[in-house]
Amino acid sequence: MSGTVTREAVSELVDVCGAQRVVVAPQGRLIRAMVPAPFPFHRWADEAPDVVVLPETTEEVVAIVKLANRLRIPIVPRAGATGLNDGAKPMRGGIVVDTKRMNKVLEIDTTDWTVTIQPSINMLKLNELLTPHGVWYPDDPASYPVSIVSGRVGTGGWSLLGSRYGHVRDNVISMEFVLPTGEVIEVGQGGGRKIRHSSTGYRLKDLFLGHQGTLGIVTECTLELYPRPEAEFPAFFGYESFEDGYRAVQPFCRSNLATLAGVILFDERKVEYLRRDDEAYIPEPESLRSIVAVAAYGSEGEVAAARDRLMQIGADTGGRYLGEELSELDWASRHDRYATPLHGRSRGRAVHMSWHCEDAAITYSQLPFVKRRWHEIADRYIAEHDVFDNWGMFFYTNNAYKGWGDFLVEIDIGVWEQRFDERSWQAWTELKREIAQVSLAAGGSISACHGATREGEVDLIPVELKDGQFDLMLKLKRLLDPNNIMNPGKYLLDRAYEEAERAGGAPGNPEGVPR
Amino acid sequence: MTRIPDVEGSDLVPRDPDVLSIGDRDAAEAAVRELADGYEDRAWGCMSSRHKFCREPCPVYQVTRNEQHTSYGFHATVAAMSRGLVELEDAYEQYAYCTQCGACELRCPNTLFTGDFYRNRTQLVQLVKAVRAAGVKAGIERRSWKQWNDDTVAYRNEMQGDPAEVANWADDLDLPRGGDTILFCDCMAAYRQTKVPQAVSLLLREAGVQFGLMNDQWCCGGPALEMGYVDIYEEFARHNLEDWRKSGARRVVTLDPHDYITFVEEYPRLFADFDIEVLHITDLLAEQVEAGRLRPERPLEVSLTYHDPCRLNKRRGIWESPRKLLRAIPGLDFKDVDHVSQWAMCAGAGGGVPVALPEVAEQVARNRLEAVKPLGVDVLASACVWAEDHLEQVARSDGALPVVDITVLLAMSAGLLDAEPWLAEVRRRRAASGNGGSPLAHGERVTEEAGP
Repeated sequence: MSGTVTREAVSELVDVCGAQRVVVAPQGRLIRAMVPAPFPFHRWADEAPDVVVLPETTEEVVAIVKLANRLRIPIVPRAGATGLNDGAKPMRGGIVVDTKRMNKVLEIDTTDWTVTIQPSINMLKLNELLTPHGVWYPDDPASYPVSIVSGRVGTGGWSLLGSRYGHVRDNVISMEFVLPTGEVIEVGQGGGRKIRHSSTGYRLKDLFLGHQGTLGIVTECTLELYPRPEAEFPAFFGYESFEDGYRAVQPFCRSNLATLAGVILFDERKVEYLRRDDEAYIPEPESLRSIVAVAAYGSEGEVAAARDRLMQIGADTGGRYLGEELSELDWASRHDRYATPLHGRSRGRAVHMSWHCEDAAITYSQLPFVKRRWHEIADRYIAEHDVFDNWGMFFYTNNAYKGWGDFLVEIDIGVWEQRFDERSWQAWTELKREIAQVSLAAGGSISACHGATREGEVDLIPVELKDGQFDLMLKLKRLLDPNNIMNPGKYLLDRAYEEAERAGGAPGNPEGVPR
Repeated sequence: MTRIPDVEGSDLVPRDPDVLSIGDRDAAEAAVRELADGYEDRAWGCMSSRHKFCREPCPVYQVTRNEQHTSYGFHATVAAMSRGLVELEDAYEQYAYCTQCGACELRCPNTLFTGDFYRNRTQLVQLVKAVRAAGVKAGIERRSWKQWNDDTVAYRNEMQGDPAEVANWADDLDLPRGGDTILFCDCMAAYRQTKVPQAVSLLLREAGVQFGLMNDQWCCGGPALEMGYVDIYEEFARHNLEDWRKSGARRVVTLDPHDYITFVEEYPRLFADFDIEVLHITDLLAEQVEAGRLRPERPLEVSLTYHDPCRLNKRRGIWESPRKLLRAIPGLDFKDVDHVSQWAMCAGAGGGVPVALPEVAEQVARNRLEAVKPLGVDVLASACVWAEDHLEQVARSDGALPVVDITVLLAMSAGLLDAEPWLAEVRRRRAASGNGGSPLAHGERVTEEAGP
């Protein structure tokens, strides 16, 4: 804990939001110390923020940010807190700004097909409200029933349906954004809030998508709307080896189907994991070692045509169609079923394990290399530490509006957090660093969708963002956040201030004006 | 580990004045140790998931949008207490924010995908009751709940009604006492929603079901237990069981889901030899209609939807029989919202929330009534007198639609109660509200198709 939150700060927060929406109780701070990313519970108390505040309006957010900037208090935005990266985890205590109460829908525009919201609404809820208008917002992460748009903005999230409908960066048209100094900006593609494409000025919007809470707080969003799909067709095909499944992926991805929403490859270890007391997979024969799942979304006619072509590709690649029931039910439960604590095993014993998903962006050609190396790393740590477990790997189409190119590669590691101590926590961060090194060796990116701020892998950020990219990040951070109050400690961005200090510049800026 | 230190200026955020702590540290520590023994591992079952899929369906979270008021928040706090990071005196306050509706238990991926194999169904309701009980044991209480329980002990019912008048609702019905089948008339029904037990009695008599009333009905005790007052609950439970045994009862029929769940889940836990069959009125009446012993023939020309009481639908899986009854009534335009969609809905009348946090309870009810608006119906029907009473109070103050119990509808349709005054009231309320209202649940602006 930083100890920087003073009586004066608490008093001002109470003035801004009222005592009801300021949380100082220990339990309220402790549950906001973490997100689903593995957490060092053995030092839980040290990780808690000092105070939590729940604003409802842009004005309140501005007032909170301004006071934090003036008093030099770390401030950490927290949205749905469902991220598998730990962007919302405070590293220096301070104020957690929990934005969940900012969840009003401001405008549904059925002419220009946009919805403007206070961004802390959940996507499932948003779609319930959009349904009567015949439109939907297609962002579909694994956390779809619970995560909220502002967190999707903060992490620059990826969608399971992205190959058909794009990802968050494609579907957030514009935003109202509070900078670390308390200034409010509008940022979009240029022009008004509903303009999707423009050539005026710089493309600033991307800077504020995936910043992990280091550049400010989003307070309004205008989102893209799509016609509700008339039909969806999921199909699961079984293969006898990972290599067969891997080879089948390309023809699916290059099927020339505009309705193709995604292709997912499961490796042998994933199939093995799913057979742990999971009745859906028990009837599948032992010879099935790998699965390719595909899904098409769109109009009735297009999806009917896509169904024929996908089934043909399945047959041509030697895949065994796993049937309508498994395909439809597994696809329908895709958010729920793939990470179940009780499938955790420690030396053969069933224990409650958390799901950690290490996600890299890797080109198709490098997938077998990464898979082999990641499993070697995971298995080596599991042999040494009884708190880890290998839950296998998935490979997902990673790009907007197309099925080819790089893939989101994920290895799921069960983590017995209840038993974490400093030794196993350090092992965990080393494991993550090794995993990230492999991604970089394969010419990939450390994270395709979650962000790469986590202990262990974060050390490699300057390696991945080489040739001046990381230096530019540092300059931008210092420009927008002169006092390093916004989620400090993340992404090694402290270096922006250390270097400036070494160069003789003042570490902070008393006026809080960006230079 | 020790309790995390307070931040400077914590005193500027006042604690909930309803929470009263008169216990000592040793008692609190002992209570936490007991809690940890029973619940720490279960808490890790929830925390290890941290999916938080339980969050959006939670009716209280929908109001407060505060993570502390979720299954995940409650479980995490038990784990934190077990590790000594939070004291019971701090934690106790947040456990009032639960109506014990059970939505989170159903929406938990642990329950959905491994509950059967590992017998590890998430059981948040039991955990909330346990923390509240630990508080009471350690001298940490809510003034409002304490007062409510003192009153309930004094009056033997939740309504502060004269105990001698507990069966006054039946004055004109000439009902016997005792017998093989007992009709347990809930406290709310006995003193305020009296039309419901009257309708039930007329329907049972019409169908030829023999039944009697208790000699001396006390509160079922369930609400006391929900608030953590275990001793009071046990006293009530013992009295009621003794009353049933004395009159030779083998079967109890409930007309309120709160009584029902107390009898089927809690009484057997308390009494090893509990052998009374417990039946909920909607199941019993649906059987009678199917067998042709009840004939709802008078058309009721209103449009309505049905609110699934949480303790029937989410916690006991009873959702078919109420729908069967509504579909049996001619003339009704029944616009159903399926029972799974209703996991995310609650009237807000349970778990002691209206007593401790009336504003939260009202907002939960308001959200439930808002969800009815897009359907454009005239009436909200239910099968829980507590939900109906609470929803009706909020509906009246907001000019929303009338709320009615299914048994009253059935009795009107079967010609056992006069339908005309009620239909006139429905028409009056419909005219006053302008019917339907906005189909938007969040009060958002819609920019419709329009030319430039």
